[in-house]
Amino acid sequence: MLSMFLFLLQSNPYAVSQPMYTDNASVWRHMSDALHQSVYRVLTLLIAVLPGILAFFLALVVFSLIGVIISAVLRSILVFVKFDNRITRFRGNTEWTPSAPPSALVARVCFWVWVLIGLIIGVAAFDASYAAGTPLPISLLPYLTHTVGAILLLIAGTLIARFLARSVLIGGVNAQLQYARFLSLGVKWLVLVLTAAMVLDHLEIGGNIVELAFGILFGGIVLALALAIGLGSRDLVSRSLESHVERAGERNAGPPNASGQSPSESIRHF
Amino acid sequence: MATTDPIPVSASVIERPAAHLLVMVAAMPADQFERLLTNLTAAFPAESMLVATQNEFASGAFSDLRIMLAPSTGAAWASTAADFLNAFELAREENVRAVLMLGPGSDSLSAAALRALAGAVLSSLVDLAVPFYALPPYAGLINSAILYPLTRALFASRIRFPQAIDLCLSMRMAERLAGAARRFTSSNQPDTLIWPVNEAVAAGYAMDEFDVGPRALPQPADVDVNAILSLVTGSLFADVESKAALWQRPRRLPPPRRPLHDLSNADGTPDIARMIESFRFAYSNLQEIWSLVLPPNSLLGLKRLSVTDAALFRMPDPLWARILFDFLIAYRLRTINRGHLLGALIPLYLGWVAGHINITAAGMSSERHIEAVAAAFEADKPYMVSRWRWPDRFKS
Repeated sequence: MLSMFLFLLQSNPYAVSQPMYTDNASVWRHMSDALHQSVYRVLTLLIAVLPGILAFFLALVVFSLIGVIISAVLRSILVFVKFDNRITRFRGNTEWTPSAPPSALVARVCFWVWVLIGLIIGVAAFDASYAAGTPLPISLLPYLTHTVGAILLLIAGTLIARFLARSVLIGGVNAQLQYARFLSLGVKWLVLVLTAAMVLDHLEIGGNIVELAFGILFGGIVLALALAIGLGSRDLVSRSLESHVERAGERNAGPPNASGQSPSESIRHF
Repeated sequence: MATTDPIPVSASVIERPAAHLLVMVAAMPADQFERLLTNLTAAFPAESMLVATQNEFASGAFSDLRIMLAPSTGAAWASTAADFLNAFELAREENVRAVLMLGPGSDSLSAAALRALAGAVLSSLVDLAVPFYALPPYAGLINSAILYPLTRALFASRIRFPQAIDLCLSMRMAERLAGAARRFTSSNQPDTLIWPVNEAVAAGYAMDEFDVGPRALPQPADVDVNAILSLVTGSLFADVESKAALWQRPRRLPPPRRPLHDLSNADGTPDIARMIESFRFAYSNLQEIWSLVLPPNSLLGLKRLSVTDAALFRMPDPLWARILFDFLIAYRLRTINRGHLLGALIPLYLGWVAGHINITAAGMSSERHIEAVAAAFEADKPYMVSRWRWPDRFKS
């Protein structure tokens, strides 16, 4: 195929670039030569990469099909042995209660494992094919894997930041801390800054600058929180601590009272 | 009191006639236990009863009673899965006809109350006998605000204390509850709460409640309302979720059989300023989270409430019912983390408590208000069923 392309390109090198004026003939020839060489290089690269891409997609499709078949068979078996009922019976009142039936979850996990295997094998095939096929360097492939890792880090970091921010906010509001929202925002940005630094480090962008900037920013946020709570909200903190101590004293002194009322006021939540 | 000898697991058990009633007694101080034994001997013939206790006890005063050691469960304020499982295992071994489960502080129950609870089960009238406690107006507020209205609306049961710590069970009821408890104990969750009323409704067993008068309810060791509310409400929500197919069927609520009790609050009206302040503070900080769970109408209702004067502060009953149903839906859909969801419910509950105290201070009886709340839950049940089935509808 490559030779055919070369033949087509070189069979009549002067046919396309017929000079209209004889005094410009050498210019046209040089331009035509340059264009032909560019096209040749692009096609050569494409031809070198094509088998790898084909191998990648072939591996992905084949393993996905295998995944579909195996997950369908697995699901049938699980339904046959009444896996869902057994799991429901033995699971009890756990925090984790999925929306889909357990058998469907197992089948899905099986399918995606096969897709992942297909991806890994496809990438390996692409890499091998490319390495054998062309001497041209491609720096994109290793970078692509780093990008996937960075995206996963970013997603995980964002989820953790949101979870922690909500936990701090709800806990702070229920503890009647006046700076609950501020604390929640602080925690959220701490985690986000940490995540951003990890992502950039993973992508090998910035080098020492990122580490330095992260250190300054992280330390700055912590210092700002400490100053804000220690100085700006000094009265609030002392009031909050006082009420906490009072409540602890009441608990030790009198009968249990969940709302922080004095014992004589007899509110019992349970 | 002499405590040198261990419990005399009587050697004469074999010679005696088989007992009809197994009394499972939770761990309690020795003096309380002795008072309880006195009440029990006054209520039942000694030979018809077998007492299983978690207490170390030895006393010559009750030598005619058959007392045995029960496995320790550590349950202090509510019966757990381990308690129900142990009760059934012992009852099966001893071949009794009924199990009377008594929690800490049950020495305050009179002999007549004990007789009423056990008598109904022993005479095969019901499978589950639940006490109706005469509590002060501001006691058992989680029960009044959440457990009773929700159980009544969804399971069509008028049992006022669905999580009562004293119960009497027939053997088939005990077996049913042990089956439910086994699911949790096998997954190493022996402290999980079990909901006997819901189980009785699911099994189609007869149940009734009996007026037992005043009772000193044991309180959780951790008096933090946040922890209690999350634990109890989370457990009920999980049980409601597991019985969704049952409560979605239309059910007729039995007619009321007891008059409304009204106990005067000797301690006066509690100060609600802190609770209202807590609600307002939460309104200004948790809107982002509430808006994920509640529809705009409810948020509007909360906005109005947040600017209401403390003296006029009242959570409207339909609004409270709608809030709780929406939280239940969000619990099922996992709209947000379940721990966060139950945490976000706490200030709303405190708002309800503040409103309840205001209403009772204004002259309305506590029980009448709680019945009105329960009626609001019943009226809103179609909304709950619809959203449970089609969660994306009704988002307005």
